[in-house]
Amino acid sequence: MKQESEWEPRLLGFLCKWCSYAGADLAGTSRKKYPANIRIIKVPCSGRIDPLFILKALRLGFDGVLVSGCHPGECHYQTGNYRARRRIALTKKFLEYMGVEPTRIQASWVSASEGGKFAEVVTEVTNELKEIGPNRLFDEERDIYGTKIAP
Amino acid sequence: MEQKLRREAKALLEQGQVDYIVGFEPGSLKFTTTPLITRDKEEVDRLVINPFIVNNLANFLTELKGRVGIIAKGCDSRSIVSLIQDNKVAREDVVILGIPCPGIIDLSKVEELIGKDRDELEAISREGDKVVITADGKTSEFSITEVLFDNCLGCELPTPQEYDILLGEPTLPVTDRSASQAKIEQLKGMPPQPRWEFWSNELSRCIRCYACRNVCPACFCQRCFVEETEPQWLMPVPRWQDNLMFQVIRNIHVAGRCTDCGECERACPVNIPLRSLTKEMYDIVGELFHFKAGMDKDTAPLMTHYEQEEAEDFIR
Repeated sequence: MKQESEWEPRLLGFLCKWCSYAGADLAGTSRKKYPANIRIIKVPCSGRIDPLFILKALRLGFDGVLVSGCHPGECHYQTGNYRARRRIALTKKFLEYMGVEPTRIQASWVSASEGGKFAEVVTEVTNELKEIGPNRLFDEERDIYGTKIAP
Repeated sequence: MEQKLRREAKALLEQGQVDYIVGFEPGSLKFTTTPLITRDKEEVDRLVINPFIVNNLANFLTELKGRVGIIAKGCDSRSIVSLIQDNKVAREDVVILGIPCPGIIDLSKVEELIGKDRDELEAISREGDKVVITADGKTSEFSITEVLFDNCLGCELPTPQEYDILLGEPTLPVTDRSASQAKIEQLKGMPPQPRWEFWSNELSRCIRCYACRNVCPACFCQRCFVEETEPQWLMPVPRWQDNLMFQVIRNIHVAGRCTDCGECERACPVNIPLRSLTKEMYDIVGELFHFKAGMDKDTAPLMTHYEQEEAEDFIR
């Protein structure tokens, strides 16, 4: 385990390939600065996100999870982001009741042209995670397969 | 009510309107009942209705082929409607024999009140708002609210809304639901850290027998995610981390189907207060989406539809 002083939050981002992922690309090509704390997984749609993914990420020791999809009404598959919205709302509320800091579960709408917004969101979320400190919910340094979690 | 039930059940079988009758018969232990599934019209004479008919029989509907006549309390009828919403059961394949339910007696609460094991009690009978318990030849009276299950104390629909035959006069819903919420309110008053510790402690007792899942009419997946091996989401070893993940995901899966029947908590062999999870999910669903499970068979299931404008304040 790293020392607390040099601790950096690890944020897992599930980005929709039609919007947010392209938005992240744009943030890169337009040289926007944002914290390198985010690890990105490309998903076909924010509606692909099962609450299980969010929970598993927390279980594996990620300090926060960001689900990012298209703005309402702009989903490539018409309704995926609306469904995602319901699921994430439920997951966030329920985990909050169980004692998880709501800050650890984040969602955003970022379109392909919003590179700036993507950089802002990641910066904000990272700063908030820094405030609440590391995820000790599952109290494990190793993942379920017994391998040390990558820093 | 019992006589009417037997008469109706027999008629249904005789006329060939149903293939099965699903109801309750006296259990092998005192004050218990056990589900009775029968095609035999002589056996319907074993059917009973008393304040101990705990089980949610809707659970059998997905397994039985053919037309089923089923005895349903308020919460069970909601589970049935919820199955109809999910297209697991066709409305025309069920004949719902509705029972206006005045609440089910929790034997462990009785044991606590009297300080005796249930086997030592002689009789428990309900008279209006009172329950009369006989032990050692002495009778004692208690208010009914002291012995009902927590979920019955907060019952929103004691009389089935969806039924074919209603046995008895409709009962009114409970007005003061605070008693059923006591445990949840107490948890909500705690800071997040102790609350997480509370749940991790409670769930560390879990032996992963999956009784809560198997008894639940809303848990009807052919293959549950816990048995999935590619990818393996959860280890089958009952560690609290896995147990907690299992319960969280199970609750999210049954969101919008859970009718607060309380079967999971009753089925739990290690007494984990599961209803404090399911009821909170029930309330979250109501608060966020103004949705109550199993109220109207023509509404779409919760997670399959959406509103343009809803629950957006948490999204950046």
